[in-house]
Amino acid sequence: MSTVSDVAQRFKESDLASVLEENSSAALVLPGLLLWSMFMLLPMMYIFVLSLTNARPANIFVGNNRLLGLVPLGEADIIGLENYIELLFSIDAANSIQNGAYGAVFDLFLSDPIAVFNYPFWNSFLVTWAFVIVSVTGKVLLGIAIAMIMTGNRVRGKRYLRGIIIMPMGVPVIFSILIWRFVFSNARFGLMNQFLIGIGAVDEAVPWLTDRWLAFSGYVVTEMWLAYPFMVLITVSALQNVNGDLLDAAEVDGAGFFSRMRHVILPSIKRPVMFGTILTSAASFQQFLIPWVFNSGGPSRENELLLVYAYREAFAFSAYGKGAAISLTALFFIGMFMWVAVKRGNLAEEAGES
Amino acid sequence: MSLATGIVRSVYEDLRGIVLAPYTLAKEFRYTYHGLQEGKIPPKYVAWTWLSTIGAVAVAALLMFPIYWVFTTAISGSGGSLYSTGGFELIPPNPTIKNFVWVIGPITTPENIVINAPLLGELFRIPVPMEPTYILDPAQFGVPRSARSNFLAYAENSAYVSFWTVIIAMSVIIPGAYGMSRRDFIGRKKLLYLYILLTQVGGGLGIAILIALYTIFQNIGWLNELLPLGIYYGAGAVPFNTWLLKTYMDGIPISYEEAAIVDGAPSWRIVYEVIIPLSKAGLATVFVFVFLAGWTDFVIAQLMLEDTNWTLPVGLYSYSGRPSEMNWAHFSAFALAFAVPLMLVYFFAQRYIESGLSFGGMEG
Repeated sequence: MSTVSDVAQRFKESDLASVLEENSSAALVLPGLLLWSMFMLLPMMYIFVLSLTNARPANIFVGNNRLLGLVPLGEADIIGLENYIELLFSIDAANSIQNGAYGAVFDLFLSDPIAVFNYPFWNSFLVTWAFVIVSVTGKVLLGIAIAMIMTGNRVRGKRYLRGIIIMPMGVPVIFSILIWRFVFSNARFGLMNQFLIGIGAVDEAVPWLTDRWLAFSGYVVTEMWLAYPFMVLITVSALQNVNGDLLDAAEVDGAGFFSRMRHVILPSIKRPVMFGTILTSAASFQQFLIPWVFNSGGPSRENELLLVYAYREAFAFSAYGKGAAISLTALFFIGMFMWVAVKRGNLAEEAGES
Repeated sequence: MSLATGIVRSVYEDLRGIVLAPYTLAKEFRYTYHGLQEGKIPPKYVAWTWLSTIGAVAVAALLMFPIYWVFTTAISGSGGSLYSTGGFELIPPNPTIKNFVWVIGPITTPENIVINAPLLGELFRIPVPMEPTYILDPAQFGVPRSARSNFLAYAENSAYVSFWTVIIAMSVIIPGAYGMSRRDFIGRKKLLYLYILLTQVGGGLGIAILIALYTIFQNIGWLNELLPLGIYYGAGAVPFNTWLLKTYMDGIPISYEEAAIVDGAPSWRIVYEVIIPLSKAGLATVFVFVFLAGWTDFVIAQLMLEDTNWTLPVGLYSYSGRPSEMNWAHFSAFALAFAVPLMLVYFFAQRYIESGLSFGGMEG
């Protein structure tokens, strides 16, 4: 008898109607997911198709060809992985690869390894990583330092001070970046130059925007200023959850400021701060507006972060296919980074899924 | 309506705190002074308080300095360029508000009162039985009447875009967050995982897929249209804000709902009368974030829109230019008129945002 009822039970469980019934709450979530998919997932799939074509404004917006009767392609042609090969490899190497002459590429690599690779892309790639590493380190340290100052025991009017210092978060990004562009202006009356001349550090106006690494440091300072409110918010709420008894006990036991910091405070704020760090690294990785507004990723395209590089290729040089390939490569790296970070950091737990 | 009254009350309390600050401060001074005299408070304690407060204020001042710099330029009389400004002065001589008058432009009493509805267009038109007179006359401030910025026109475009962003996004975020927080279904954890992945990637994702988006919008004929842009911003705001509100709702004890169920309340009443009032801080935070998504985006708007439809960020950018050519004072006034209201929102919403973003204290 038990086997029969087992089968009946299983049938009941596999019944489509009851599965739908059990999961009817998904209907609450679906509208949001659908909306997001329409405007984000669909273009993401489309950009993949575009990256396999030679799309330009001249061919994509004319004609009515559709891939598989669905995806509008205009008169653009599918050219396979050509965009990606041209992106990663120098012109000579890319030509050899497309002709199947892999031996020639290998010879070129042996004689001059750098000549195999496409300089603009790898330059942009490395600058992006440098920007991520430097700016994230700066943001996290600045955020923790400010949060510690603003939650100090003896500071009066903390709440108002915190209200003031998180205001940059509400300021439109374009406003902040434009202002910082004028702070780092090449002109003698740019704020930074005035300051440096005023304290006697330099005699002449510093060419912030026309020197590669000076411009880069300007990007980093701006990014730090844009992101510190977020880090401060996260660190402050983490600091408020630090166990006060533990701190008192440490103080009674004679622990100084630094040992309290190292053994009590840092371990308790580690997880939320890690979480904020990962999110803010992703933001740094996708920084577009700072280099674009400062000097279009200049001087002479040397500071183009990946998204600026993609944007320039697509809209300034009308190479939609190539721009799409760069964008997707950038997305791939952000995706990998986030995936590893979420997996390693158990972030799903952080979101209240413990 | 408890949400609105709650926000009004807390803003009122903050304002009262600011206005009464000198009084509280004086009281504290007197207390400390007497304490010191009678030897109840050790001088070291007082010195430490002074030092750390001054240090904290100095840090805040340093962080806010760029904004103050823009402010001094906006109230300086010289409408010159960055090159002609004669160096920085902490308090500019002859402060004036004429640059702000230029931003707003002349305001006259209307000839007709027109009531518009979104999508439907004009509903009513009531003529006003009086000659148009100036409410704000730029000529009084030494600004020619014809010289006005496009601030109000851009603000109207921005408001239209943000209106749709908020409507669309909130109507999918609230049920989504409730479902994620209180119900279970297949793939719920996976979806939450996806949403967390997308939290900070949202904005950059928009730029990365910009080429595809532009091509699609061009094909459908949505270029230079405000409504699709508003919906697009709403869509982009879904993952982060759904997750944020879900985290907040997790902190509401389930026993409230159980009590309501025992009392026989239907599920819509539980949501309307238990969940929504209790998550007002979370809702306020999410509202601010969603609104700002539409109000402050620049990259997508500048690519999609033409100058008649520009939103405020694109308009602001158009007033910047080469330092030698741009009108630095006008630019600064325009920028502040755009940014200061938002800064105030953040100042007053600080405690809501802090509690909405506190990931640690949500186990509840």
